[in-house]
Amino acid sequence: MTTAKPDMRVLDADTYANGDPTTFGLPLEQYAYLRDEAPCYLHEFNDPMLIDRAWIVSRNADIWAVDRNSELYAADRGGVNMWKVTPLDPKVGGKPAMLTMDGAKHRTQRGVMSKAFTPGMVKKLEDKFREYASNIVDAALEKGTFNFVTDIGHAMPMEALGDVLGVPSGDREKFFAWVDTFAAPFDTRITPSFEYVMQAIFDLLGYAVELGELKRREPGEDVITQLVQAGADVISEDELMGNVALLASGAAESTRTSLSHGMHELMRNPEQMAWLREHAQDIPNTAIQEIVRIATPFTHLVRTATADHELHGQHIKEGDTVLMLFAAGNFDERALDNPNAFDLAREKNPHVSFGRGPHQCLGKHVAGLEMKILLEELMQRTKDISPAGDISYVRDAYSRGVYQLPVTITPA
Amino acid sequence: MKVIVDSGRCELHGECVMAAPDVFAIEDDKDSVTVLDAQPGERLRSAVEEAAMMCPVTAIRIED
Repeated sequence: MTTAKPDMRVLDADTYANGDPTTFGLPLEQYAYLRDEAPCYLHEFNDPMLIDRAWIVSRNADIWAVDRNSELYAADRGGVNMWKVTPLDPKVGGKPAMLTMDGAKHRTQRGVMSKAFTPGMVKKLEDKFREYASNIVDAALEKGTFNFVTDIGHAMPMEALGDVLGVPSGDREKFFAWVDTFAAPFDTRITPSFEYVMQAIFDLLGYAVELGELKRREPGEDVITQLVQAGADVISEDELMGNVALLASGAAESTRTSLSHGMHELMRNPEQMAWLREHAQDIPNTAIQEIVRIATPFTHLVRTATADHELHGQHIKEGDTVLMLFAAGNFDERALDNPNAFDLAREKNPHVSFGRGPHQCLGKHVAGLEMKILLEELMQRTKDISPAGDISYVRDAYSRGVYQLPVTITPA
Repeated sequence: MKVIVDSGRCELHGECVMAAPDVFAIEDDKDSVTVLDAQPGERLRSAVEEAAMMCPVTAIRIED
């Protein structure tokens, strides 16, 4: 048990910017303190760009429970994460999307989109994904030494999700660049000032309308076509914009972040790298889930309490923000054996990186397949992958990306 | 063991198909999951229990 109260910085951008590469870049000790000593902790933010305060819930089982109880912890009363401005929050000028809906409305809209993301539908993408992975690894082998985050981590989901969503090839770079800009509002290397955040949101929402018009004229086998074909009474123009922004932001950076943190851990743990190479013909799902767990690409999401109630002795009031700190729940020894170890064969892995309730990641099966195929390709076609410099992290406490991961690969 | 799915809750998250592919399937153009085997044998119990536990909208119930 931890006893000394650490300076609570689990939601400070600098904590993640200066993360310790030997603890997944995460403040594991502070998380342990929260879980052990303050499992329902009132955090004050003191930053004009962030919400005022939130109750942090950090134990794995509590996150499962909060995420599944949308009657008590609503998603449709404003707020997505700790940011004051998000493209999905109508209260601050954004557009409504699935993530900010509950009940029947959520179910109807999710129903329109979920058919494209079922395990069976995703399986049909395998050949296409393998072709992308092969091209990406070709290019990487040509270079030899490169930044894994951009050359591999970014390239794969951009093409794969571009296909799934129906973004034309020529537009993919700019489409995902807007997401990168508004998803890193606190990292001046990526987003020089807040004006860029607003402009990127504006551009993406505007492009969503254009894309909708394109799909009405030229329907394809993709998600955006399904959104426009559902009709305006099911999905309004505003909701089309919001959902495109949601799908875009969930699509690329999360997979890139998982692949990058995963590759970093593989290089730190040669026995795990060897295990993955042994399984290179058919990488088991346990490996993918373990990478997603330690990566925790989004550290948290928030809900709003719909009634006064008590949790771990704290009095939560109707209207209070409750923050599910996924990153802390993913290292909870109450739910996982030896949680601080990176173990690709881990059987029991109730991680909360995708969420566990009705808002669970829509793209989890697509992301899993992308990662599996890309890692298979990499393992089969290289005999060595080694660091060519130090890892550095994105300065953000929500979307905790990797900024640079220099690697050198040697062909098989 | 009897498997009951509340199709009014199902949102096609697909967790049950991953956990117990012999019992659950998602068919094209269906709005909720299809139960392939509503009375699976005991050897499938742990897989079905896993499916029920993983369902994000708790739409799966097991009797006996």
